[in-house]
Amino acid sequence: MPFAGIDIGSTMTKVVIADDQEAVLAAHIGPTGVEHRHLALKVMDETVLSAGLSFEALDFIVATGYGRINVPFADKQLTEITCHARGVRALFASARMIIDIGGQDSKGIKLDGDGKVSDFVMNDKCAAGTGRFLEVIAETLGIDLAAMGDIALAADGIVQISNICTVFAEHEVTSRLAEGADVGRIAAGLHQAIATRVVNMTRRLGIEKEVVVTGGGAKNNGLVKAIEAQVGFAVLTPPEPFITGALGAALAGMDLFRRGIKPQRPRKREDVTFYS
Amino acid sequence: MSIMKQIEALYTQRGVRARELRQAGEKVIGYFCCFVPEEIITALGLIPFRIQGSQREPIDEADTLLEPMACPFARSCFNMALKGQYEFLDGFVAPHSCDTIERMYHIWRSNTPSPFNHLINVPHMMGPSSAEFYKNELHYFAGCLETFAGRKLDLEKLRQAVRLYNRRRALLRELYALRKAVPPRVSGTEITKVLVAGMGIPAAEHIDVVRAFIDEVQQRPAPRPDGLPRIFLWGNEIDDIAFIELVESCGAHVVMDDLCTGTRFFWEDVPETDDPFDGLVQKYLCTHCPRSLVPQAGGRADDLENRFGYIREFAAQWKADGAIFYIVRYCDTCELEGPDLKEYLTQQKLPVLMIEDDYSTTTMGQLRTRIQAFLEMIA
Repeated sequence: MPFAGIDIGSTMTKVVIADDQEAVLAAHIGPTGVEHRHLALKVMDETVLSAGLSFEALDFIVATGYGRINVPFADKQLTEITCHARGVRALFASARMIIDIGGQDSKGIKLDGDGKVSDFVMNDKCAAGTGRFLEVIAETLGIDLAAMGDIALAADGIVQISNICTVFAEHEVTSRLAEGADVGRIAAGLHQAIATRVVNMTRRLGIEKEVVVTGGGAKNNGLVKAIEAQVGFAVLTPPEPFITGALGAALAGMDLFRRGIKPQRPRKREDVTFYS
Repeated sequence: MSIMKQIEALYTQRGVRARELRQAGEKVIGYFCCFVPEEIITALGLIPFRIQGSQREPIDEADTLLEPMACPFARSCFNMALKGQYEFLDGFVAPHSCDTIERMYHIWRSNTPSPFNHLINVPHMMGPSSAEFYKNELHYFAGCLETFAGRKLDLEKLRQAVRLYNRRRALLRELYALRKAVPPRVSGTEITKVLVAGMGIPAAEHIDVVRAFIDEVQQRPAPRPDGLPRIFLWGNEIDDIAFIELVESCGAHVVMDDLCTGTRFFWEDVPETDDPFDGLVQKYLCTHCPRSLVPQAGGRADDLENRFGYIREFAAQWKADGAIFYIVRYCDTCELEGPDLKEYLTQQKLPVLMIEDDYSTTTMGQLRTRIQAFLEMIA
């Protein structure tokens, strides 16, 4: 019994197909373009192919992420908060707190003993504390985004970055560079600034063990270490942090299916066009 | 014209009736917030008009005179005044509800003065001396308004005005009782329109509107059970339907509120006392705006119960499944009260979503995810 989840984030579109044992059969990631619908279908097709299935065989499809309303072939839309929680519950039964650092927002989610959402906070109107912030600053520093975390970890010190607004922080970084500050130390300072902001936001919910970091931010070692320094203990990261939301969407679909909720229309691949 | 069309017209064209009355020779007194006794204005033969902003128009001219980090509701009201949209006001009355409104009074008066301008000093602390202080302030206000109106305040007329406004309060409570049904007989969006429509017309006319609306609602077939969550709303000035409409479109019913534009301005009656000023003081001093401080009594739990017990009762009687705090940005009093209230309601097992937003309909779509996530959480 295969279930699909599709997570259209601001930067990346992720599709996961999972079975009823909560195992991932296939997962694909593509960049979110201007045309959500077209891309959603393309990534879905690729994932279905990798899983060796047909589109028609999918028992339930849940769409999540900020582009979730642009998935005409989904049976249900759920928010990324609910789906992240479901995905993390499948990966780490002991998780009580999620810190998700996405491309254009970051969020803190508190889970109860059953792994259900009991409270959440969200920063969704400002690039501070998001992947976009790191992207902008990596460009200013002239380094590769993927290498940024390691560069920060290799630094022998830290340059304090006091501005957390992306635009002002960029100015600040430019000034520090002009003063001859070390790129690695600046990168370390930036990670600390983001971690402080995101963790303080999450603290309002009351931080409990275990803490799981998800989203693109979890792929950045420097940022994960900076978050650990803020919370005061080691955090967990999924093997593939990008797809937590899509996995959760697939499993949330499975939960609905098991409660007797069925797709409203018969699923036919040829009926799906991105203009529907 | 059907009652809903009439309400729609009053809601969308807020100054129209006041302008008509003025053309017919009446004098219109604009005022801010829930602390100005409309009864005094009405008893002197003047027309009270509650000043509102516009969440649908950008704030532009006001920002040449004010810093953008000031309360966007106050800035929006002032913006409209600068653009001549409140030119029909013969009087401008501000209570010292919060520091923003108090300062706004001075800026407003300097830039767009009305023939009559008055600031009412409302005590912030509900202490033993507050009632006497506020009574003196109300006498001072009434005296100034007498001079402007050119007539003496007749206490019998004031008693009549108290009864008139109490009649409206009773009707609005009757309307709110229709929200207790599961599902509610009337939506939060409609309620907002009815309330805001009443802010720009005389109370006697609003009474007719509310009566006709209640009759219309009672003739509707009972809505089918839908299992949707029921939301209690707490915050400040929600004078536009946009946010409540958004919550309801996400699959919920907004069933009860504690808002400046909701229960806060009408829930409690003015007691009919021998000296009508005593009754006015009792009602207006205890308005549930978080700018007012109840003296701390007992321990933490007693203090929270003392301050928020009425909200617990609201939530229980209207069977709320969750509470949403919708705070217009930079409202210090709400932002500082919010965490305590959240703690209290969470203890009562009522989940809370706290949202801070600009006073603008254009940025509201971004809140959809948070509202939906909250509804999924409490489902």
